[in-house]
Amino acid sequence: MFSEAAKKELQEIRLRYPNARAALLPALYVAQREFGWLSPDAYETVSDLLGVPKAIARGVGTFYAMYKHKPAGRNIVQLCTNVSCMILGAERLVDFLKNKYGLEPGGTTQDERFSLVIMECIGACGTAPAMLVNDDFYENLTENYIEEILQRYK
Amino acid sequence: MIKVTINGKEINLEKAMTVLEAARSAGIKIPTLCYHEQLEKYGGCRLCLVEVERMPRLQTACTLMVTDGMVVRTETEAIANVRRSVLEFLLINHPLDCPYCDKAGECELQDLVEKYGPATSRFKESKRKVTESLEDPVLVRNMERCIVCTRCVRMCEGVQGAAAIAVIDRGGHSHIEPFSGGKFDCEYCGNCVSVCPVGAIMSRLHRHSYRPWQLVSETETICPYCGVGCTLVVQVRDDVIKRVVPRIGTAVNNGLLCSRGRFGYEFVGHKDRLTAPLIKKDGVFEEATWEEAIRLIARRLGEIKDTFGGSSIAGIASPRCTNEDNYVFQKFMRVTLGSNNIDSTARTGYAGAQAFIENIFGQGATANLIPGLSNSDAVVVAGGDPTAMNPILGLQIRACARKGGNILTIGHIKGLRHYTPVELRPSLFSEDILLEGILSALKDKKGLPGSNQILEGKIKDINLSSAEVTRVCGISEKDFALFIDKLSGASNAAVVIGKEVVQSSGGSYRLLLLAAITYLINGRVYLLSERANEQGLLDMGCAPDLLPGYRPLGYAEFRKKYEIAWKSPLPEQPGLTIFEMIEAAKSGLLKAMYIMGENPVFNMPNSKEVEAALKKVDFLIVQDIFLTESARLADVVLPALSWSEKNGTYTNMERRIQRLRKAVTREGMEDWRIVLEIARNMGSKMNYEDSENVFFEISRVSPLHRDLGYEEIEKGTAIYPYKGEPLRSLTEEIRTEKGGSIESAGKLYLRLERPLFHSGTLSRKSQALVNIYAGAVARISPGTAGRLSLKDGDIIRISSGIGSLDLPLAVEKAVEDSVLMLTNNFEGRGAFSLMEYSIDPVTKAPVIDGNVVTVEKVGR
Ligand code: SF4
Ligand code: SF4
Ligand code: SF4
Ligand code: FES
Ligand code: FES
Repeated sequence: MFSEAAKKELQEIRLRYPNARAALLPALYVAQREFGWLSPDAYETVSDLLGVPKAIARGVGTFYAMYKHKPAGRNIVQLCTNVSCMILGAERLVDFLKNKYGLEPGGTTQDERFSLVIMECIGACGTAPAMLVNDDFYENLTENYIEEILQRYK
Repeated sequence: MIKVTINGKEINLEKAMTVLEAARSAGIKIPTLCYHEQLEKYGGCRLCLVEVERMPRLQTACTLMVTDGMVVRTETEAIANVRRSVLEFLLINHPLDCPYCDKAGECELQDLVEKYGPATSRFKESKRKVTESLEDPVLVRNMERCIVCTRCVRMCEGVQGAAAIAVIDRGGHSHIEPFSGGKFDCEYCGNCVSVCPVGAIMSRLHRHSYRPWQLVSETETICPYCGVGCTLVVQVRDDVIKRVVPRIGTAVNNGLLCSRGRFGYEFVGHKDRLTAPLIKKDGVFEEATWEEAIRLIARRLGEIKDTFGGSSIAGIASPRCTNEDNYVFQKFMRVTLGSNNIDSTARTGYAGAQAFIENIFGQGATANLIPGLSNSDAVVVAGGDPTAMNPILGLQIRACARKGGNILTIGHIKGLRHYTPVELRPSLFSEDILLEGILSALKDKKGLPGSNQILEGKIKDINLSSAEVTRVCGISEKDFALFIDKLSGASNAAVVIGKEVVQSSGGSYRLLLLAAITYLINGRVYLLSERANEQGLLDMGCAPDLLPGYRPLGYAEFRKKYEIAWKSPLPEQPGLTIFEMIEAAKSGLLKAMYIMGENPVFNMPNSKEVEAALKKVDFLIVQDIFLTESARLADVVLPALSWSEKNGTYTNMERRIQRLRKAVTREGMEDWRIVLEIARNMGSKMNYEDSENVFFEISRVSPLHRDLGYEEIEKGTAIYPYKGEPLRSLTEEIRTEKGGSIESAGKLYLRLERPLFHSGTLSRKSQALVNIYAGAVARISPGTAGRLSLKDGDIIRISSGIGSLDLPLAVEKAVEDSVLMLTNNFEGRGAFSLMEYSIDPVTKAPVIDGNVVTVEKVGR
């Protein structure tokens, strides 16, 4: 469900745009934050609050990779495996996540603490390998460093 | 003047258009896939690419506007190569299952590949796999075949206005889905099916049952369902209707249909159709020959007429039957039986509302063109949801909103909710106060035009401050002010009136208020009509006080004309309305009744009482296509030919006379022919060869239809006032009756749900419509559910003063508080079985808005 604060946030977002449809992307982002993922309920809520038909809202949402369409863990790990990161060992890191946490690309840990998304170049080639955990950015990754980072996220 | 040269041919154009349109106007074909003339332009498929001199790349002809001096080539080798490549790309993910696909034969992709190639594919990788979705009862979605042209999406959103489907995912994974991902759960108009160029969205009704090239005939006819009168094309093979499609360019619906029109044809071939006349002997029906049945009827009616007089016999005509059927029926009643007791279910609202409004504004005032709605700058809607009752008319209202018009709704009009800048939802039983308020505010803002003194006399007495109105009706002052502002600014306004206005207490007073509002804004009135030939039946004189041509029976000079034409004296006294017939039957005054194509036991409120009344009639004849609730009570049942099995005409709510054509052959007689046989057995000299013959007589005797023939009707130009003259306006005194004030607190009112997917006798025998909406459901609002501690999915017992029903409950936001909505479409569970009525003294319509019910939970 949407908190009152989120509803208010949505109304504010709406006012920043000339029409309701233009406000869909940030609105869906809020919904994702509130619901954890873009569930049918999340879409219906956004559709009701913005007055955009729900099928259209879902059409827009499914176009973008950064919206989640299945339940995800509490924290999202977005690890880059594109060229620079790959050369500097990103694939080893993928294996590490799998072995140590049981975290597969596109999957979620049993305790629903982490989900892993594989990214295509997040613009940190000079300090590769790199990843995002939620909105926080980390670079020059090693196995030990990842372990240390992930401890911060419950 | 714009001059363009296409393929060396010089074309001079009066107005700006796209290259594609310019080419088509000159008979030059350019292949297209995403382009569709009914839809907004898209430019997505790149098939229409053409060479334009002085433009660097190939251009899409469907979006490029012509400019003066433009030189275009549409078929060069370079273009052919590109088209081949585009098609090759489209086929990458295409399953190439043409031998199995129902679209083969009318598939635009197949036709294009046949023309431009490629014959082989270089694509060796595996194709996208998506299982065909059979989750929906009516539509099949096969997303392997989808070429993502978005025609369906643009249709659903931009024309139908349902916005039920969208492109999901992206790139090679793009495909079309309804919100649920499975079931469409939409308005089921099937208009997306019409525009899909491939076999990606198709109707499930005729799945794998024929090939398009195997159709034996195509017949253009008129929809049997509502008063909009859409043209549809019935496609037949082996005397079975395989498919019903619309046609672009027809006057009323121009390539669009609603769910009933498109998917509601299966009743025609239903196994329950009556096949032989039935005569009741000792309470049991026995099949009889036509000769036996007709002789029996002629004898019994003759005896009753001789003993008790013509006024002891009554007839109910049918808004489902043709003008010809109804004309012969009323003539038989009046001339052969000497009775003016002829009426129909048009009496439940349409007839009275029309008479009332036209008494004020003159005959024909309610005859307005449906497509004209979209050009209005304001449309006021009251008394029901046009998008459910008259769907194609509803689309014109949505189109009006899209063009910038203001849709102003009064009450709970679900289908227009996304289209209105302001909806006023007055609390229960305060609609007339709201209308008074709107009228007062308009009067203050605009003043009185001074052209109709009688009406202005009434308007002068109505003064209500907006503060008072908003308080009583429970609406916000801001909304009310906005409503008035939008409405008073309109210069080309329409007022759409649904049956609920007439069926409410004080219905005539509400009509007066709506008429007065119309008068102040100089608007046009549209009366929603639930039945295909409700108008035609009135024009044919199937009313106790009307003669054919809508001529009042009360005027001796009109009567005289018909007496001469029919060579027979006519009874002078107006007959009984359908409700008075029920009263008369109850008290034993009616000895015989002839019901043609109607099911009063089901279609009239207080069904049980209607049933009891009909049981009291000594001799009951019911002529129908099914053994309905009413037919079961009959002494003789006569099977008639149905829609699509006969020729004739319907008159729609615009008063456009249109041709109904025979599409399938079945043994039997048209309704008019059965009546004629009975008449002739009673010694009448009436005789007609065919329906055209009947219409010829109509055009001779009805001043409204003077000299009109089938030929002219077929041209589509037979619109009121046809060729004859309408009656001069007879503004008599305006009589109204106010509703009493009703204390509604804490009560629950039973109201009629008028669903998009049903309309009673025909729709409940049409499997596709039943699959969409399968059974009766009681609906209440979340607020009411909370108050009564009920939950969605509960089984509840609904009890009224006259009966009770156990039904599943649905809790829905769109329902008004303190109201329980129930349809009257399902056998044995109709809302009318729980509803009592009183008769509005002016419109003679039943008032049914005050039925209190109680509910209790009996299960889950
Ligand atoms: S059937 Fe009509 S409402 Fe349903 S998806 Fe197709 S166009 Fe839209
Ligand atoms: S389903 Fe048909 S109309 Fe819709 S996008 Fe696909 S191919 Fe086009
Ligand atoms: S709008 Fe009325 S006439 Fe047109 S298709 Fe639908 S039911 Fe038939
Ligand atoms: S390749 Fe990983 S950040 Fe650029
Ligand atoms: S028809 Fe022009 S791009 Fe599709």
